[in-house]
Amino acid sequence: MSFKRTFGLSRRTICLLFATSLSCGAAFAQASYRIATEGTYPPWSFKDAQGALQGWDVDIAQALCEKMKAKCEVVAQDWDGIIPGLMARKYDMIVASMAITEQRRQRVDFSDKYKETVSRFVAKKGTPEDVSPAALKGKAIGVQRGSIQANYLSQNYKGSDIKFYDTPQAAELDLVAGRVDYILGNMVTYFVGFMKTPDAKNFAFVGPELKGGLLGDGNGIAVRKGDADMLSKVNAALAAIRADGTYDRITAKYFPFKLM
Amino acid sequence: MDLLHGFGGQLLLGAVSTVELAAASLVVGTLFGALGCWMQLSGSRVMRGIGYLYAAVIRGVPDLLVVFAIYFGGSLTLASLTGRYVEINTFVAGVVALALSFGAYAAEIARGALLSVPQSQREAARSLGLNRAQALWTVVLPQAARIALAPFGNQSIVLLKQTSIVSIVGADELMRKAAEASGATREPFTMYLAAACIYLVLTGLATLCLEWSERRASRAFGS
Repeated sequence: MSFKRTFGLSRRTICLLFATSLSCGAAFAQASYRIATEGTYPPWSFKDAQGALQGWDVDIAQALCEKMKAKCEVVAQDWDGIIPGLMARKYDMIVASMAITEQRRQRVDFSDKYKETVSRFVAKKGTPEDVSPAALKGKAIGVQRGSIQANYLSQNYKGSDIKFYDTPQAAELDLVAGRVDYILGNMVTYFVGFMKTPDAKNFAFVGPELKGGLLGDGNGIAVRKGDADMLSKVNAALAAIRADGTYDRITAKYFPFKLM
Repeated sequence: MDLLHGFGGQLLLGAVSTVELAAASLVVGTLFGALGCWMQLSGSRVMRGIGYLYAAVIRGVPDLLVVFAIYFGGSLTLASLTGRYVEINTFVAGVVALALSFGAYAAEIARGALLSVPQSQREAARSLGLNRAQALWTVVLPQAARIALAPFGNQSIVLLKQTSIVSIVGADELMRKAAEASGATREPFTMYLAAACIYLVLTGLATLCLEWSERRASRAFGS
């Protein structure tokens, strides 16, 4: 095994070579894609104790493949190398809950939004549902410094006492300690993190799900810049899994709310 | 293994992969080092220039950049040369990058060791009728090897830990496995501590091997 690996002929390489030569012979053979995800970020993508990739992103990637009638291999790739890997053609798309940002748009093309970035207030159970700037006048709100939510609060909640924290956890601790009345942050992050801790038993989400505008453009599937063919296939498959309920079914496996 | 939530097996797989990477890089890197040293000590000015340039560039650039250059740059270069996409295996790219880095340091170690054998030893060997190759092989190299062994061993242990940077390009070595395990279990402290223990065991074994070979090398000749 290690001898073969040293000389670059891993089983996968041989298979790839074999597959390539086959698909050259049969021009209309099934398409095959490689898809990268991150792999250390549950419940989106993570590896179980057997080393198998799991999670919402992995399920979505497989569902997209089914719609594209393609054979796919989902691989885990360290976040720091994930865009360079796409550009170097190590894989054809990234399905890794990647936030659509202007900076990334310069290096990759994004599909239509496939997940909303949802923000939500958390406060003591029984707090009124009205979280408008008028209702929160004079209240203390904790938020992570530099986050999209911090920007949103600074712009819209000028009458409130906004307290900035270096980490979401620090804001959560001050909510529990009673130093702030509300915290605002990513809903899903709260759901899989803070809300699962014993500290959170007296706290609940309040007010509506907040999204769009200053609160971010959501997540997209990244493909190589200029790969219009891939992009249109991904968008068509995305529309298909949204339309036939596959998307919601996958989401329901992980969360009691919708992601889009 | 309960403490590790069943991820012990994955961590061990990662450790095996780390050892494979390190061992392959050590062999290839030593070849690079010998080649680099030979060029640096060569009579040709061009060869010397290339030898010194290799050491200067590789030692002056972060290893992470070398890994990126080989893995991403390598496949892009091959693609533009051959006109179609060429897959570069992660393991091969990792070994080449680590070996390039190791070789640059090994070349310096070997050069220093060879130059520290007094010129008179060489002259004495020649005057006894040995030809140049015989003088090098039987008189100079055994003495240089003794001097080189300690720094060479040091560099090998650095190499063992350096393998962790290959995780960036998707190699399933120990650090990557620890990152995956800590992500899945939300217990980073436990998982990275376990990884640290495995690294300590590996470097401990390597140190024992080195001590043994240093003892062996410092025996008097003929005993």
